[in-house]
Amino acid sequence: MILPGFVYFVIFKYFPMGGLIISFQDYQPYLGIKDSPWVGFKHFIRLFTEPTFAMLLSNTLILFALELIIFFPIPIILALMLNEVRHKMFKNSIQTIVYIPHFMSWVIIVSITYVFLSVDGGVVNEMIAAFGGNKISFLTSPEWLRPMYILQIIWKEAGWSTIIYLAAITVVDTQLYEAADMDGASRLRKMWHVTLPAIRPVIITLLILKIGSTLELGFEHMYLLLNSLNREVGEIFDTYIFTAGLKNGQLSFSTTVGLFKGLVGLILVIIANKLAKKFGEDGVY
Amino acid sequence: MKFRYAKLIALSICGSLLLSACGGENAEPQTNADGKPIISWLNILHSASPPTDTVLNKIEELTNTDIQFSWIPDASKEERLNTSLASGSLADIVSLTILENSSVRNALKAGVFWEVSPYLDEFPNLKEISADMRNSASIDGKLYGIPMQKQVSRNGVIIRKDWLDKVGLPIPKTTAELMEVAKAFTEQDPDGNGTKDTTGFIDRSDLVFGAFKTLGSYFGTPSGWAVSEDGKVTPEFESEGYVKAMDYMKELYNNGYINQDFAVTAKKDQQEGFAQGKAGIYVGALFDSKNLLNLAKGVQDDMDLIMVNDITSTGKESDRAIWSTSNGVGGLLAFPKSEVKDEAELKQVLKFMDDLMSEEIYTLMTYGIKDVHYSLEGNAATITDTKLWEQEVQPFSSSRPNENGYDIHDSDPLRVESDRLIQENTKYAVLNPMYSLESATFSEQGSELQKMITDATYKYILGKLDLQGFQDAVQTWRKSGGDKIITEYEAAYQAVQNQ
Repeated sequence: MILPGFVYFVIFKYFPMGGLIISFQDYQPYLGIKDSPWVGFKHFIRLFTEPTFAMLLSNTLILFALELIIFFPIPIILALMLNEVRHKMFKNSIQTIVYIPHFMSWVIIVSITYVFLSVDGGVVNEMIAAFGGNKISFLTSPEWLRPMYILQIIWKEAGWSTIIYLAAITVVDTQLYEAADMDGASRLRKMWHVTLPAIRPVIITLLILKIGSTLELGFEHMYLLLNSLNREVGEIFDTYIFTAGLKNGQLSFSTTVGLFKGLVGLILVIIANKLAKKFGEDGVY
Repeated sequence: MKFRYAKLIALSICGSLLLSACGGENAEPQTNADGKPIISWLNILHSASPPTDTVLNKIEELTNTDIQFSWIPDASKEERLNTSLASGSLADIVSLTILENSSVRNALKAGVFWEVSPYLDEFPNLKEISADMRNSASIDGKLYGIPMQKQVSRNGVIIRKDWLDKVGLPIPKTTAELMEVAKAFTEQDPDGNGTKDTTGFIDRSDLVFGAFKTLGSYFGTPSGWAVSEDGKVTPEFESEGYVKAMDYMKELYNNGYINQDFAVTAKKDQQEGFAQGKAGIYVGALFDSKNLLNLAKGVQDDMDLIMVNDITSTGKESDRAIWSTSNGVGGLLAFPKSEVKDEAELKQVLKFMDDLMSEEIYTLMTYGIKDVHYSLEGNAATITDTKLWEQEVQPFSSSRPNENGYDIHDSDPLRVESDRLIQENTKYAVLNPMYSLESATFSEQGSELQKMITDATYKYILGKLDLQGFQDAVQTWRKSGGDKIITEYEAAYQAVQNQ
């Protein structure tokens, strides 16, 4: 039964990798890979010497760090809290409510944000004005981009990401809880000493996977938020690849950027996996 | 078991081979069941949805073809055209409206499309395309498609006349007077609802087709590039006019005379905002006035619009100017060699183009079918059902190869007036001297470099960058490739002068 997966990976993952070769060419689609001129490391040199490179790298890493530090623990906390809710109906309805945003596309979420945050007639700004404050141009201020970005991710994905933790929690041996009860542990203690250690392997695995997609922050989301005024903090590798490659047609150059991005991700996964093993966890491979 | 797997793998490989084979070969000129030649057309859609078949059938009947459209929404034309070029999934006719885009330019230069200049004179309507137009639309002296002939410059200022009367101001003739109007519209409650909820200008996040470039013209900014007498080339953003226009926008922004979110406002929201009475000054294409009025029906019924195209910063008639970015070339209708296989097929497509330029089909693509979409009195056409026209005709109106020199015209007074003003603009148009010249660096990096300037301009207007900061950005632009572009343009300009 390995075949469907195998075929999928060959056709959609390994075969297209051959295309990476165009990052060493000045690829012209009408000439094809065979006849396009070879240019060696020209595009790599351009990538590393362009003033945008430092900006892209730092923006990507900062956003990733924020996601890891702020967003990553939230589903775990949420799952632990949901697990403590004893009233079944109440628990289910909460779960449903926090799942819903996951099914909305980024376009919708960003549009909603625009409606709320715009300066002329935005709900939030109207409220600030009503309380005598100065209106804030959230959408065009570089300093508001990152908080907005993270909050949107939390709102959209936090609920959905709890699923896997909740599933992991359900398989925790009930005898452990009973034993803890016997020892007179409070609910908080049980959460800390029983539930959390039980789901630790799941957390570690997800963390490594997350680190693997470091530089993959989600193109669509950021692209919708970008504008001329917040580009200095918002332009990330994904959006840059899109504008350089698809809008301006520099296929070779954007392939180079993509290749670099992939390599960084690969290195980070290897490091994270090594670290996990060092601390006695299983890792992902 | 093993055998079955092998079969599956073989099957899937065959499948992918078959798929790739489909893309390339279709050697025979295709005809439909009635024997009419099939002409496919990759076209840009400027309205909300593709047209219904009513007008299309009529065009097919008149040109004796079977037209198959693939519509690309205007908002995503860059990425869609680029992916089509890269993957070779083109059509017999491709509407290339973004000639300044680097990959489109490269494709043209690489010979992906037929060069048409040797054939034009064989067709009565195509023959009429002027030498000037052919030159402007050429790249390296070669014409790679039928130029879409548009007006040279169609921009101006649209103001709410009813609001002007209310605040008691005359129609502005100078930029200072325009500022007065913006101030009055913001502060004197022109809609009379008792609250200060209006602004003067309403603009969108577009430095070219929005207010900025038109205001720039009033301050004497060149269009794209300036060439001095001794052949020195400088970009528009190094001119005095550019800075003055930025300062003007900055003043509007700081005083709240413009919607504060203009840097992130889409065109649709801008127009809707205007129609809802949020602002009284709109800068854009003059013929937008009619659309604005249509949008405002039932929302702002007392809206009365006036168009102004003679504003200057000095008040002197001799300083009148209005930009033209592409010198009247709206793009190319190009024919890829991969789809149009041989000369015979090319002539067939050119014949079709020639037919499209006839008065009959022009009328069809502009106004629709007589007594269905419009009524005719003399040469004045009145659109009888705007909704129906928008659905069935409007998408075609931006696909016309030529928009000039036809007898039939719209009877709507606003439209007649905007046509007149656009015609008048031609006299004052500031052309882009580099439009048909070549710079390899501009082709490769131009759009990317322009982003630096666009960002810096917005930041300056919103007060996040001072003049020094803006000039630093220009220096970065020069260092990152701008200097090279200038040298290449100077060489290209010299070469043309010496001819």
